[in-house]
Amino acid sequence: MGGALKSWIGAATGVLMLAALFMVFVYVPTEADEGIIQRIFYFHVPIAWVTFLAFGLVAIAGVFYLWLRQDVWDDLGYAAAESGMVFCTLMLVTGSIWAKPIWGTWWTWDSRLTTCLVLWLLYGGYLVLRALADDTPETARMAAVVGIVGALDVPIIIVSVRLWRTIHPAVLVTRQGSHGLEDPRMIATLLVAMAAFTALFLWLFWLRFATLRARTRISRLRLRLALGEIGD
Amino acid sequence: MTAMAALISILRKDLRLELRSGLSTIALVSLSLLILVVLVFALPASAQRGAEPAAGALWVALIFSGMLGATRAVLAERENGCIRALLLSPVDPATLYAAKLAASFIFMAVAEIATVLMMVLFFNLDFGAGILRLAPVILLGALGFAALATLLAAISGRTRAGDLLLPLLAVPMFVPALIAGVKASSAALAGEPLAAMAAWLKILTAFDVLFVVSGWLLFEFVVGED
Repeated sequence: MGGALKSWIGAATGVLMLAALFMVFVYVPTEADEGIIQRIFYFHVPIAWVTFLAFGLVAIAGVFYLWLRQDVWDDLGYAAAESGMVFCTLMLVTGSIWAKPIWGTWWTWDSRLTTCLVLWLLYGGYLVLRALADDTPETARMAAVVGIVGALDVPIIIVSVRLWRTIHPAVLVTRQGSHGLEDPRMIATLLVAMAAFTALFLWLFWLRFATLRARTRISRLRLRLALGEIGD
Repeated sequence: MTAMAALISILRKDLRLELRSGLSTIALVSLSLLILVVLVFALPASAQRGAEPAAGALWVALIFSGMLGATRAVLAERENGCIRALLLSPVDPATLYAAKLAASFIFMAVAEIATVLMMVLFFNLDFGAGILRLAPVILLGALGFAALATLLAAISGRTRAGDLLLPLLAVPMFVPALIAGVKASSAALAGEPLAAMAAWLKILTAFDVLFVVSGWLLFEFVVGED
């Protein structure tokens, strides 16, 4: 299903990723304050954006599944959650690599870091539910409910974690509102990296989605075979 | 039968079961007691008194005993297929959710009164006005946890190793209420003015509203059978 589309997304991912790598390592000027390590920013921020995109898709797929009861929405939510989890992990890892030289520590309970960790745990729970439950319509409904409730919880998590860390003395001085992207080449690099990671996400998501669709169709065919509707 | 009458009769059934066996409340209170004792051993001597460690210990006890209580409540309904009978009866799933929520809330609130008393003793606090000011925090926290756990326990109860799954789903989702609850409790115990608690109480209230409403709307999708 969508074989041609899949190849096109794959090709676009390859081209954009090469362009992003070139821009990050060769084209863009080194940031004045942080030096060479700041280049990880062009990976970290697009990865964070893709994570939120994926987890947003999980909730939207959940709503549509509960509304329309078509298993395509269930497969879509599952594929989005799995690929989102990959990017959420990458976000924590790249953030940690960036934090060590700049903040002097791999991990700190800063509000954004804490929010991301809680998100990671939340969608980890979602995937454990998927893994433990059998592949039935009940599981699809339960996963949809967890996906929706989890997404609704995210704004409260963000507000509470931010308040938690503003009342406590800040462990570190976070960057000011602007990222200091004065140079237009920095903005161009960020935009290309954004496109590259969005394409990478779409590609991984589409591969997983196609696999899940195939699995759903096989199990439906097996059911029909068992019922004697086809075969012989 | 109106929704209210159905709610009351299911709630009455749960309360009567509890009055006869005492299972949930005894389990909740004894687990809370054990958690507090473990935390006193785990903490350094300097952290064994005062508002902040006491508030932290109280919420650890609340979360983990609440998890046990929610699992128990679902298991009790699954024994002898009671949940199926409830679903077959002309009762809206939302009403069933409200009744189960009310029952869990009552058991948790009772267990928490006992936990607060033990906390005051173990952490060398005073029985004073601070304890009374803790009441809204604890009640809002119990309502939020009961709302979340009733919905999620219905989900985890239908999977293999459901008792393992429930904390994995419930704890990350409970994080905002946990942060707000610990902060508001320690402010209340330290005798800080109400203004210091206000922001946290707002978060707790928002959390409660969100989970009571979403549980109310979504419960039919997790208990229904195809």
